[in-house]
Formats: sequence, C-alpha cells, structure tokens
Amino acid sequence: MTPGSDAEIPIGPRRKGIGEMATHMAEPAAGGADTAVEHLTVEDRIWLLRAMLLMRGLEERAMSLYRQGRVPGSFYDGYGQEAVSAGAAFAMGPEDRLCILHRDLAAHLIRGVTPSRILSQYMGRAAGITQGRDGNVHFGDRKLGCVGMVSMLPDMMLVATGMAMAFKLRGEKRCAMTWFGDGSTSRGDFHEAMNWAGVQKLPVVFVLENNQYAYSTPVDKQYAVDPVERAAAYGFVGVTVDGNDVEAMFEATREARERALSGDGPTLIEAVTMRMHGHAAHDDMKYVPKEQVEEWRKRDPIERQEARLREIGVDIDALRASIKAEIDAAAEEALAGPMPDPATAVDGVFCEGEAEPLGDGQAPWSGFSSTGGDA
Amino acid sequence: MSSSPTDVLVDVTMPQMGVSVAEGTVVAWRVEPGDRIEAEATIVEISTDKIDTEVPSPASGVVAEIIVPVGETVDVGTVMARIAVGDGAGAPRAQPLDGDTAGPPITETKSSIPTPTPAARNGNRRYSPVVQRIAAEHGIDLSQVPGTGRDGRVRKQDVLAFVEASPTEEPPLHIESPYRPEPVTPAPAPASPEIDGGGLSRMRRQIGEHMKRSLDTAATCTTWIEVDMSRVEAARARLGVTALAFVARASIDAIREHPALNAWLEGEKYTRHSDVNLGIAVSLGDDGLIVPVIPRAHELSVEGLAARVKDIARRARSRELTPDDVRGGTFTITNPGQYGSIMATPIINQPQVAILDLEAVIKRAVVVTDAAGNDSIAIRPMTILGLSWDHRALDGALSAQFLATIKRNLESVS
Amino acid sequence: MPTLTYLQAISSALRDELRADDRVLLMGEDIGVFGGAFKVTDGFVDEFGTDRVMDTPLAESGIIGTAIGAAVVGMRPVCEMQFSDFISCGFDQLVNVAGKMHYRQGLAVPITVRLPSGGGFSGGPFHSQNPEAWFMHSPGIKVVAPSTAEDAKGLLHAAIRDPNPVCYMEHKHLYRRVKGDVPSGVFETPFTARVAQPGSDLVVIAYGAMVPVALEAVSDGLDGASVEVLDLRSLVPLDEEAILDSVERCSKVVIVDEANATCAAGAQVAALIAEKGFESLDGPVIRVATPDVPIPFSPPLEQAVLPGVDRVREACRELLAY
Repeated sequence: MTPGSDAEIPIGPRRKGIGEMATHMAEPAAGGADTAVEHLTVEDRIWLLRAMLLMRGLEERAMSLYRQGRVPGSFYDGYGQEAVSAGAAFAMGPEDRLCILHRDLAAHLIRGVTPSRILSQYMGRAAGITQGRDGNVHFGDRKLGCVGMVSMLPDMMLVATGMAMAFKLRGEKRCAMTWFGDGSTSRGDFHEAMNWAGVQKLPVVFVLENNQYAYSTPVDKQYAVDPVERAAAYGFVGVTVDGNDVEAMFEATREARERALSGDGPTLIEAVTMRMHGHAAHDDMKYVPKEQVEEWRKRDPIERQEARLREIGVDIDALRASIKAEIDAAAEEALAGPMPDPATAVDGVFCEGEAEPLGDGQAPWSGFSSTGGDA
Repeated sequence: MSSSPTDVLVDVTMPQMGVSVAEGTVVAWRVEPGDRIEAEATIVEISTDKIDTEVPSPASGVVAEIIVPVGETVDVGTVMARIAVGDGAGAPRAQPLDGDTAGPPITETKSSIPTPTPAARNGNRRYSPVVQRIAAEHGIDLSQVPGTGRDGRVRKQDVLAFVEASPTEEPPLHIESPYRPEPVTPAPAPASPEIDGGGLSRMRRQIGEHMKRSLDTAATCTTWIEVDMSRVEAARARLGVTALAFVARASIDAIREHPALNAWLEGEKYTRHSDVNLGIAVSLGDDGLIVPVIPRAHELSVEGLAARVKDIARRARSRELTPDDVRGGTFTITNPGQYGSIMATPIINQPQVAILDLEAVIKRAVVVTDAAGNDSIAIRPMTILGLSWDHRALDGALSAQFLATIKRNLESVS
Repeated sequence: MPTLTYLQAISSALRDELRADDRVLLMGEDIGVFGGAFKVTDGFVDEFGTDRVMDTPLAESGIIGTAIGAAVVGMRPVCEMQFSDFISCGFDQLVNVAGKMHYRQGLAVPITVRLPSGGGFSGGPFHSQNPEAWFMHSPGIKVVAPSTAEDAKGLLHAAIRDPNPVCYMEHKHLYRRVKGDVPSGVFETPFTARVAQPGSDLVVIAYGAMVPVALEAVSDGLDGASVEVLDLRSLVPLDEEAILDSVERCSKVVIVDEANATCAAGAQVAALIAEKGFESLDGPVIRVATPDVPIPFSPPLEQAVLPGVDRVREACRELLAY
C-alpha cells in the first residue's frame, strides 16, 4: 500500500466525499509510513506499539473496573484510535506543549504519565492526576507539559494557539499541538483558532481526529465540505492521514512540527479513523451500521503495527506479556490508593502562591537525541 | 358560657410526655367552663405511665368547653378542652391580650421599604434585631421606649437614647477595670449600693467578671521603671494641675513613638489606632470603679488633659456619664498612687494591650550625676511607673522602651 | 503625586507593567495602532511594538483562549474587551477553561481581562452592560471594580500580578470624569473594601461608578445624618469583614449597583448581611439597582432605569426615617 495517499485511506461510508476541489486543495501528507521508517529506529517502532498496547490495555482494565462499580460517572475510551495519539505525541519534543483529547490516552503515556496514576484518575482517587477533581481523561499533567481538556470542544484549540503565540513572540523554537474531533469543526472556536493561527502564522499543529461520529451524529450532518479543505482557506497546510497507521501518523506530525519550527506556520492534520466503541460506556451505538464497524475492524492500528514488527523479528507475545504485567501492577497500586479527603473539596480554587508554568514532558523518540530536538 | 362568633377556639390537647408515651389520664381540672384562664397557668393535671404533670394553658381566654372528664384516659393529641380567645370572650379581662390591642393605624406609604406591621407580640410593635439585642443587653422593656421612627417604630437611636437617659437604671457598664481599688476615702455619698441578699453589687460582680476575663485572655506581664519627677513637680506647682495630667501627656507622646501600645487585640485581630482615646480609672468608692474615656486625648495639652480628667471624675462620681463616655478607649492609665501606694500590677482593660500605673510620688535619696560626671546623693521626688502589657501583642523590650520614653518625657518637662 | 484621570491611571498601570515585566502582553481589538476604542493604549505601539500591544482578530473567545495558552507557558496577558458586553463571546473560555484550571490541574492562569463596562451615554443594550455578576458566580475568577483613579491603577497592578484570572471592571463613565492623585510607579491595591466616607447612621455599599453616585447622594439632603459609603473595590474576593463591620456600626444599609438587580453583586452583599449581620440590623436592607431590563438607548429611557443620585438619596432618606 502507499500510506498517505487519499485513495488508500479507509473512510466510512457516511464520510462526505471531498470531491475534485478537495483533492486539489488538500495536501496529502508528504511521507506516510514509508517515509516514517527513515526517522524511526526499531526501538522507536516498538515504543509506538507499546504506547498503543498500554492505552488499549489500560482502557480495557478501566472498563472492567467501571463494570465492577469502581469508576464513578461515565467512561470514555479510544478503542481503535490508538494510533492517532500515539503517532502524533511521539513526534513532539520535551519543550513542546500538548492539549490532549479524551480518546488520546497514548499521548499521556508517551509524555510520561504512569499507568497507576491513570487508573487512579478514572477511579476518582487521590493519586489521580487531578486528585479526584475531574474524571476520565479530563486531565493533563502540567509538569509534563500537558493541559487537560474541558468538555466544551474544541476550546483547547485556542489554548494551543495561545501557547504557540507565546513561543513565537519569545522567538522560541517550540510548537504546541492539540487534538479535536469532527464534531468540533462545527463550533466557532474551531474557526477562531484556525483563523488566529493562520493570521499570525503560529507554530501549532491541529490534529483533527475524524472518527466519523460526534456522539451519534455522523459527519454528513456535521459538515458539507471535509474540514481539511478549510486549512487552505485559513492560509496554511492541511493534510489527510490514515489515522489507523501509527507510523504514518508520526510522520505527518513530524513534518508538521518541522514546518512549525521553521516558521512556516500551522498544519491541520486530518487523521481519518473510526470510533469503534460508543460515545461512552452507556452507548451501544446502534446508530452505527454493523458493516462500517466490521470494515474498520480489519484496519485495527495495533494489529497493523504488530504485523510490521513481527516481520522484522520483534517478539510481540513477550511485549504483550510485559504490558499485561505492567497493567496488573498498576491496577493493584491504584486500587490500594485512598480516595481524596473530603476536607480538601474546596481547596485550590485559586492559586495562592506563584504561578508555575508548564513543565517539560518525556519525549522518547530517538530523533531528539540524534538531532538535538528543540532543546 | 358560650363563645361569641368572633372568638377563636384554642385546643388543649393531651401532651406527649416522652417519646414512647401514647396516652394519658386526666387527674384533675383546675378550671370549669366559663372560667378565665391566663396563658401558661395550669389548666389540667394529667398522669402518664412515665410522669404525672401539670399542663399549662396554651392561651389566655375563657374556658369554652371541657371534653375529657377526670379519670378518663385518652391518646396523645386528643383535645381535652377548648379555650375561647378573642374580643367576644365573655368574661372581662384582667389585662389586654398581648398583641391584641389596637395599635396606631398603619398608613400606607409609597415607600419600597416595608412598613412595620402590628403583628408583633411586644407592645404592638416589631423590633429590629439590633434594637432587641440592645434591649436585652441593658435589660430594657421596649414597651417603655418612645419610638421616633416611621409610625412610632423604635429605632436603634431610640433605644440607645433610652439607655442613656435611664438614671434609675444602674447602667450595665461593659467595661474592664484595671485594678481592684482599696477605697480609702469614701466617695461623695452616692445612693447606697444595691445589695443582693448581702452579696456583691451588680457593678462589683461585673468588675470581677471583667478582671477575671482579662487575666484569662491576656498574657499579662508587668514592667516597672523609676522616674525622677522633679521637673514635673515644679511644673505642676506652677500650673496647678496634677501629676496625672503630665503622665498622661508623656504617655501620649510615647505612644506616638511606639504606636503598637495604642491598640486592641480581639482574638487574633490586632488593630492599631491612630487616635489616642485615653481611659482614666476613677474610683467610685464602695460601688467600684469606672474607666471613662477622654476621646482624642492626643489633641489636648497638659492643662486640657487636667481639665478633662477633673471633669470625667466629677461626672463619674455623680453618675452623669453616658455610655459613650466609657466606650472606645485605646489605652488606660490608673492612678492609685494618690493614696500612697508605690507599686501595683494592674490588669489590662480589654481589648487594649497595655495599662499604665501611676503610684505615689515620694522623696527618695538617689544618686545623681552632674554634667561633669560627678556622682552625688540627692533628695528627689521619685515615682514608680508600672506597665502591664499583653505578651500576645508585644514583647518586653518594646514595653521597656515605651516606659523609658515616658521617663525621658517626664524628666525633660519644662 | 501626579493628578490623573481614571483612564490615565489605567494607561499608567499598563505602561508600568509593560516596562517592568517582559511577560506582560496586551491583547485586544484595535488597541495597537488605533490606541483602543477608549484610547487607553494610545501611543503604546510606539514604545512597546505591535507584538506586545497586539491587534487581534475580532474574536473574543480567541482573545481569552489564546491568552490562557500564553499564560500557562509563562506570559502575563492583559486582554481588553472593547466593551465588557462582548465578554459573552469569550465567556466559555473564561469560565470553563481559565476559571476551573487551577482547581482541576493545579495550573495557574494569570490573565487579566479588562472589561469597559456600564451605561449612561446611550450605548444601548450591547454597550452598557455590567456583567460582573456572571463571573462572581463562576468559581476561580477574581473580580475587581475600581471607583477612583488611585484604585484604578493599584487594582490593575494587583490584577496583572495576581496568579489567577482577574476580571477588571473599568467603568466607562468614570474614564474622564474621575480624577485624583495617583502615586507614581508600581503599587498594588489589595482586593479589599475601602471606607470612602465614614459615618454611623447608615451605610451605602457600592462599587465602581456607583461610588461617586453614592457620595453625591449622601452629601446633602439627609438632615445632617452621618452616612457611611463603603466602596467594595473587589467583588471576588468579597471583603466580608469590612461589610459586616460597617453594618455593625451603622445598622442600616442601602446597597447600590448599576447591574441588573437579580443575582447582582448587591444581591450577594444583601445575602451576606442577612446571614451574618442580622443581629446588627435596624431596618430592612434596601437595594438600588437597575431593573431587569436590557439597557435602553434613548436618554429618557436609560435614565429611567439606571440608579442615580436621586434614587440613592431617596432610599437613604426613607431608611433613615424608618
């Protein structure tokens, strides 16, 4: 296959065709998985698989805890979309800043959030990243350069734009990145952020995670023209990527980051994927045609990466076993942790001391050590 | 006697005399139908398996009907009798029912402010929270207070004026007093103190309470300094004023240098004051003592201070002080030295943080050093100033510096 | 000490902060080359350049949202809403992203949002509002409202240096009408109330443009009554101690705010007094506020709804007589 070319991208039957005009205007990701290999060592490629396996394993464990009544509220996951967050986050340097969406757990793992803290977060425990103040994947570890999302999507597009604005004002070679869904493209903040970033030519990467449905609403009720086409209207590059190919995802993001750091402005990456579970745990998604799900099941991002690595002799079974052990240990640790103290429920509404800006995250890609990254 | 159509009937019910009690027996009725009964007077005696008791009448009125006869056992809540209340109640009333007399007509106003309604139980009038609070603090019957507010409403200033203008009432003085006097000379014969069964007078008890509370509250320490009063003695002879006035002025000047002493400490709230409102302890003989306040004393000269001290002492002893005269003190001076004592440990006048004690001026032999540095023994009028201070608010070094400043001021009087 | 108008005091604070701290950045519509709709930043681009006095796209959500992003990576953005009314377009970013950030993630959002507010000059329904209560009801946002030139400067310095989102309500009616001595250089005014005029018979509690209205209202016509005027200055945090202290001493309270009456700042003050000052009251707590209508355009209509000197004086007179 030739990843990165539009023709190869598996799209849902309800996805609005982008038409002739779109094909001309949208710039396909230059490289894709084939180019990506040039920039990835075997260890990097294993890292990408590891991140996806950990994400899936943790979400499955969290779902199991949810069914046991140990996860309050609702539960959202990113089953089938693991490549989008894993591939994109892997391309980000330690000093880059991320606003991560709720189906992007792999991004947190790549930045360095430990599995036990994530399970604690789901269970509303004191050791969770928000210490029980917010639930689900509504978190971001500020010490790792991440800002937690809010439910009003895509508010974080503007926050990421603002970060990029500060980097540019200060003359720093860094970029900001954020993820948002197809539903978000209908809201005003999408326009305000795209326009702002385009006008000021900011070092920001927008990842449009097009998973075909916003809750139950399919994309053909969301937009008349594929949103990636809009990038050109705002004056910057828009690319469409197979969101189920983690290496293609990495490569498109790496290119977008380079573009950002060299002063060429923002990039809109449309990662085409499929939400394989309901909007949340309660949702049986009977509004999705079975054939659509079956079609996408064949394109599972984890199986695809496993196949690639198995071909070059990586012991996938051993990897899976080590990840299972890691998740078991994390669950044990999280379950042993206390709930937050009710006496702290009204603490911390205001910052009382000095404002502490975001810290740097983990950046495991080998390319940073060889190229120096943005450090 | 039957009730008239305008009467309201109030039920007398079998009370629940305990959680588990379900019924009670009528033992004796204290009234018959037609009898007049006042609210809270016993109307019936009952017996339950837990207790025998008397049931007070729930209302004033005329007994309209007795329903449950003596000896009968009924469930809790059963109506045992009915009392007719209202204008139609036949029997002449000994006194008007509370809240039932016609009040002054309420005129409708266009104001957005609610007009007081006549629904109150106390002399036809509703009283605001602050009025009720002041009345309770001063033991005032609000029905006696003339109101100057809309439609005769009693306002805060009305009840305050009433407190001030009540010569027969011994004003409840919410003050702290600095020390327990040993009255030597009888005060100019005020009315003999109110004796309660041979116990302490009300003022005596209050002074005691306040003194005890101060000691319980403050971390009280006392520091002394000896002062050569030669120059003060010379000046006061010339001006014809007391040493107290000079000490007051010297203290005020010292406060300017050490404002931490002119303060209140209430709980953890420490408030410095820019004005010096100077309290002066005045003995009232057997009655006790009082600490009237000279407001803005820092604006007064020695002569002005002397005149004010004289005035407040006179008014204190003739009971002419108003509540405002004893409020707001920021620093207090006590002056028992007039009786010859030489040293005391005064108690701080809460919520102030310090009190100065002036003792007798006594001639003593002291070592003096002349300008050339030669020492000799001289006879000098000396006094010992004592300062009790609150270690919660300040430290010993500051109190010593403060006393030293007073000493310097007094020894340099011209 | 120089005498400045309220508007000059705001400019002075901004200029001093831009000079003192590289992290400070002004963002807003038409604030750069044009100098702002009210000329608060007139001439600033010449000294600080177009990066630090940024003409933004016409996008209020964008202004607040990007300010948040800049703040969490170390900047101190000061956003100008051209009129406070337009903050409704940036409400979500302010309330949901900025206001909740520190509680949820321990991440401070030091942004200041300047909100030129208030009516009185035929601005009509969309240029005359007083939206402060929206933010009082939203946890995590401080709200201040100066009434004097000195406080205009001191509160703005304090707001910019505060590690939290602060809504700075600057009243348009005061811009050139209020003048006063203002200390030079940087000074921070605490987020506490101020006794604008001491008294003992009644207290008028107000903030922003209603403070001069209150002071004028009580200056005569009240038969020499001793009336206190308490200038709240800060609505979040609300200086409960100062309010209750005034109530304790005065026992009668008139609360004035220019905002629509329901759930306004004054309503919160009244609730506080009912809850914690009840024992001190010698009369009902009276509120003077704008009725719950959009602010009309035509002068007779607008004057009919905005609280003015006469209404405040009449309320005081009635309550004093109570």
